[in-house]
Amino acid sequence: MPTETHQLSTPHLLGIKDLNEQDIQLIFETADTFKDVLNRPIKKVPSLRDLTIANIFFENSTRTRLSFELAEKRLSADVVNFAASSSSVSKGETLVDTVNNILAMKVDMVVMRHPYAGAGIFLSKHVKAQIVNAGDGAHEHPTQALLDAFSIRERYGDVAGKRIAIIGDILHSRVALSNILCLQKLGAEVRVCGPATLIPKHIASLGVKTESNLIKALEWCDVANMLRIQLERQDINYFPSLREYAMLYGLNKSILDALPKQITIMHPGPINRGVEITSDVADSQHSIILNQVENGVAIRMAVLYLLAGKR
Amino acid sequence: MGVFYIFAFIYPDYFSMDKLLIKSATLIFPGADEDGQQVDMLIVAGKIAALGPIGSLKTDDDVIVIQAEGSVLAPGFFDLNANFGEPGLESKEDIVSGAAAAAAGGFTAVAVHPNTHPPIHSQTEVSLIVNRSNNLLVDVYPIGAISQNREGKDLAELYDMKLAGAIAFSDGNRSIQQSGLMSRALLYSKGFGGLVFAFSEDASVAGKAKMNEGRMSTYLGMKGNPNLAEELMVARDLYLAAYNEAPIHFSTISTAGSVDLIRSAKAKGLQVTCDVAAHHLLLTDEALIDFDSNYKVKPPLRSEVDRLALVEAVRDGSVDAIVSQHTPHEIEFKEVEFETAAFGITGLQTVLPILLMAGLSNREIVQALAIAPRKIVGLPIPVCQLDENANLVLYNPDEQWTFDRESNRSKAENNPFFKKELRGKVQLVINNGQVYYG
Repeated sequence: MPTETHQLSTPHLLGIKDLNEQDIQLIFETADTFKDVLNRPIKKVPSLRDLTIANIFFENSTRTRLSFELAEKRLSADVVNFAASSSSVSKGETLVDTVNNILAMKVDMVVMRHPYAGAGIFLSKHVKAQIVNAGDGAHEHPTQALLDAFSIRERYGDVAGKRIAIIGDILHSRVALSNILCLQKLGAEVRVCGPATLIPKHIASLGVKTESNLIKALEWCDVANMLRIQLERQDINYFPSLREYAMLYGLNKSILDALPKQITIMHPGPINRGVEITSDVADSQHSIILNQVENGVAIRMAVLYLLAGKR
Repeated sequence: MGVFYIFAFIYPDYFSMDKLLIKSATLIFPGADEDGQQVDMLIVAGKIAALGPIGSLKTDDDVIVIQAEGSVLAPGFFDLNANFGEPGLESKEDIVSGAAAAAAGGFTAVAVHPNTHPPIHSQTEVSLIVNRSNNLLVDVYPIGAISQNREGKDLAELYDMKLAGAIAFSDGNRSIQQSGLMSRALLYSKGFGGLVFAFSEDASVAGKAKMNEGRMSTYLGMKGNPNLAEELMVARDLYLAAYNEAPIHFSTISTAGSVDLIRSAKAKGLQVTCDVAAHHLLLTDEALIDFDSNYKVKPPLRSEVDRLALVEAVRDGSVDAIVSQHTPHEIEFKEVEFETAAFGITGLQTVLPILLMAGLSNREIVQALAIAPRKIVGLPIPVCQLDENANLVLYNPDEQWTFDRESNRSKAENNPFFKKELRGKVQLVINNGQVYYG
């Protein structure tokens, strides 16, 4: 187990904003240990035996919820799941009431996904529990950013100095914002690329350059993080059709092969095959998409373990 | 007198007055001979009975003396933009509680916007407000809706509402999207001397954004409502007003671009006036860093560039008036996720401290809160002469007070300054023969 000499600087994980570089490195080192555990025949440790964690998802999620649940179970925590579709939210109950009802059943930690930006921050001010943000609107998705940076570190040995292009729907993406903040804290350079209607007008204020041409972005970067087009979040048409999106920003094997150097392809999933990337790219040796998924469990174990140490 | 004092002790806010001597106040009263001087003022039965230099008025036993050294004595403030919830939304605020909050903020008159349920959109609702506000210290003037049900489709009965007491027309916090409707509203109301208030936001540009578009919206992962959404509508409505040769007033402008548009329209001689909400003169979207819904207002808090342009425009008169945009909500509408929280903050009791914090001078405050609003809607400006009705506010710009449950007069607590210590205290408000003691 990691030594207890260091602690996170925050009692919650509401966003990458809460973390400093030392926190991130601590999470990575802890995740290294847990990744070893996950490759043992017995993949379970008793660290959080006395902890009950509620996974509260107000928005559909399969992989993030599964990843958190596995992380919790590998740490021997007791786990309860709550999905909005089966909830009383539709009956008009407020978020605070919903969560307090769950906490009344002696839950220690809440992992929450919510469709609105800042929901985790709001909740942390109104309930007595540790909150882990599993995605809030288009604001933050800190564990995704951590696992992405962890995967880059795994591939290259270090994140500092690397060039990462985030490509696609930046406007609706919590993955993009958390990735930008996390990668910058670790000394990487980030650019975004996508249809201008899907890039926030003031993105440069985050220290991020915009590249409208996909080929140029790919030529510049070491790592291309291909975001999913989130049609479900788009209240109006930001581009005419998926077909036209794929024509401008879809990554296929011939584009990849024509690049002067080999780059790494990432994707937070789920993939719209044939839209942002073609199948042959997703399944190529350039892609570390499945490594990301594997690392997700180790990163989430590390986060939960370190937050439990702050209780 | 003993019984009188006991009454005053039990009901410290209001009691009908006898004789009141305000001593050593600084008079800021544009048009008065003693403007800018330190004065003593005697008020008897709601009228100015005597006025003179410090120490010139003798004190009788039956006179209540108010020591007002360091305080400003000015015409009572007039708020062009408040929401009192009547009819239909009385759990947010009613006319009596709203008027009490107004008096506590130094206001002797407020214009209430039609963001009610039903809207103030016919003679019936206008009359209700006129009747319900009888006998109050604070004069409450209804603003009638421009369109039926505030739907932005068909004109409401504007003339009938004006006859019943509506002082202007506005669809409240709904911006009229149809250019044709706005054009007809301006032209039609001009015919009988009606004034249209425009609230400017192009809905298709603003989208569903809940905050200003800028660095902060990018950092918080929220969609932004750009200055463009407001400025497009200001530009459109200036065109419409010019075309129809009709007067127009813009409510709660919030951007530097709107200031520029209105400034140049005034220079061209258009009959255009505008107001700004007090909070836009002090706060910016940086306040949203923690997703505190008490900073969620419409129009949204803008950038520092916009804020500075608005303060400058108040100083040079390009922005005529300052309003509270008092928008009370039950806690259930505010203590929720930022995205779903209702827009608006209560403002009547914090306008004065906010303006002092924003660095405005007492004279600028009096001009924008007491003189300009009345000019805009064509109501008489209080006169500082013997035998005139006293319509006054006395406030100490340096006195500290805490805005909390005890001092709050509104039913609502949705205000970012709630539970905070503020500078600038209202001591006395006099109107309609009644006195409020702060």
